[in-house]
Amino acid sequence: MTNPSRFVVAEARRIADAAGATVYALLTLGSCSHVEIDQLAAQVSAAGADRILCSSDEILAGVPLDVTHGMLLAQIAERLRPLLFLFPAGGVGIELGPPLAVRIGAAYFPHASIDVRAEDRMPEAASQRIVLHRWRAARDGQRRVDVADLERPVVATLAAATVSRPLGEPCAEVEMLPCPEPKYARPRELTSEITAEDSEVELCSAMVLSAAPVSPAIRSALNADLAPGTVLVVDGEAEPVSLHAASPNEIFIVSSATEVDDVYLSSQVPGAKVTHVGEPGYVSSAAIEDLAAAMDRARAARSKVSS
Amino acid sequence: MIVLVCLESPEPSRASRAALSIARRFAGTAQIVALSAGGPVASASLDMARRSGAHRVIHLDEPALDRADFFTLGMVLAEAARHIGATLVIAGERSDDEGQGLVPAAVAHHLGAPIVARVQDVESSLATPNAVVLTVRAGGRKNRIEMALPLVLSTPPAPIAANDAAIVSHASLPSVQTMTFARLGLDHSRVVPRPDLLGTRVPLSAPRIQYKSFDEVVEMLLRR
Repeated sequence: MTNPSRFVVAEARRIADAAGATVYALLTLGSCSHVEIDQLAAQVSAAGADRILCSSDEILAGVPLDVTHGMLLAQIAERLRPLLFLFPAGGVGIELGPPLAVRIGAAYFPHASIDVRAEDRMPEAASQRIVLHRWRAARDGQRRVDVADLERPVVATLAAATVSRPLGEPCAEVEMLPCPEPKYARPRELTSEITAEDSEVELCSAMVLSAAPVSPAIRSALNADLAPGTVLVVDGEAEPVSLHAASPNEIFIVSSATEVDDVYLSSQVPGAKVTHVGEPGYVSSAAIEDLAAAMDRARAARSKVSS
Repeated sequence: MIVLVCLESPEPSRASRAALSIARRFAGTAQIVALSAGGPVASASLDMARRSGAHRVIHLDEPALDRADFFTLGMVLAEAARHIGATLVIAGERSDDEGQGLVPAAVAHHLGAPIVARVQDVESSLATPNAVVLTVRAGGRKNRIEMALPLVLSTPPAPIAANDAAIVSHASLPSVQTMTFARLGLDHSRVVPRPDLLGTRVPLSAPRIQYKSFDEVVEMLLRR
């Protein structure tokens, strides 16, 4: 179970606790044994789900596409009529979210963040409001929607983030669902190769962007104490990566030049909070060195405390 | 085979440029039709399409489309695809301003065709007639899949290449043809804006946090 998946279940738990709702989590798997399904379900349950729905079918084993997964999602939408569908950060939400939203007449919020806030709406009693917001791609403002005000469901994909502790118990009941027959001809998978850089981009919850090269030693120093996949360093010498599917919760821009701001703000990572590191005047490479050195100091301090 | 590329107007988004770029794969084997809906007839989008190897360039000239929501726009583009006889529709995944990314899904819904998003490349299938082979990145994987036509594809935004607007520079550039709702058998009453689906617009600057030192940043990172 990836960090973004844990995070999306945790966010659903947070909303459900505030609004008095039930969190259903959907597992879509290829052919799996009962033991494997139970193990996965326990993880999802521990992340905060109340109920687990699982569909296990050969057609669900490949790349998640609307043609393979769409009818299953539509079937669940029809049966449960949820107010809010949440997808984790990464390609799956981009692939499955829009067709689902169109099919059920829902609003769609890509790369969304969620606020839960108490609001006094006289003469009504005070209530917990669930507000989704996202950056417009032009980064010139946000779109916000109060789920209760919309009077229609909302489909959203969230930013990538890590969760520090489990919010539930690993004991949810699993309900198996049959996978509906696809509406269209099944795709034929010809090749499928794991691309580590794609995983990193899709799943990282923090991104460090630097115009200057970053050495492998510094990269490993940055990642040493953090959860795997938390930080992705993209520098001037990195292989070109498609940032389109990335939705880190935070971006750190290490730069001395204000114009770099514009480059990275338009770099297709909506939804992220942008954090500037360092005062104007920092040289990029030096700033990265400083960050690595600070990591070393922090690690040393932590090991001293723990010993 | 007719390949329809849907372009935003008046300026092509980066995703639209990518759509036009991958449609060029079919330059020698299919008819490429570029279509923009709404906006002025003289636009950067249509100019780019003319210079990029499209065999036909069509502008859907309806001012009502400027206030259409994604669902309506999808319906209109699907009608246009049907009218043109396109079996492969390629559209940019999202605009550069709103960036919601629902129009391609709405086109597929109204056309009654499957949709595949985040398509990096496409080519004709050598093994199966009336099918294409797609390169799709998803779930940390790069997949090549074969799918039957008709099909709607959406492409992620791509960097703007310096020369991508001037691939073809010969004298016989296609002229821009105009199309109307009447030609598609559509009624203006079907253009109903639904701004509530976008949510309320809140003009804000990015919430930037400037840390004074790297120690502060590291502390914050380690708290995760």
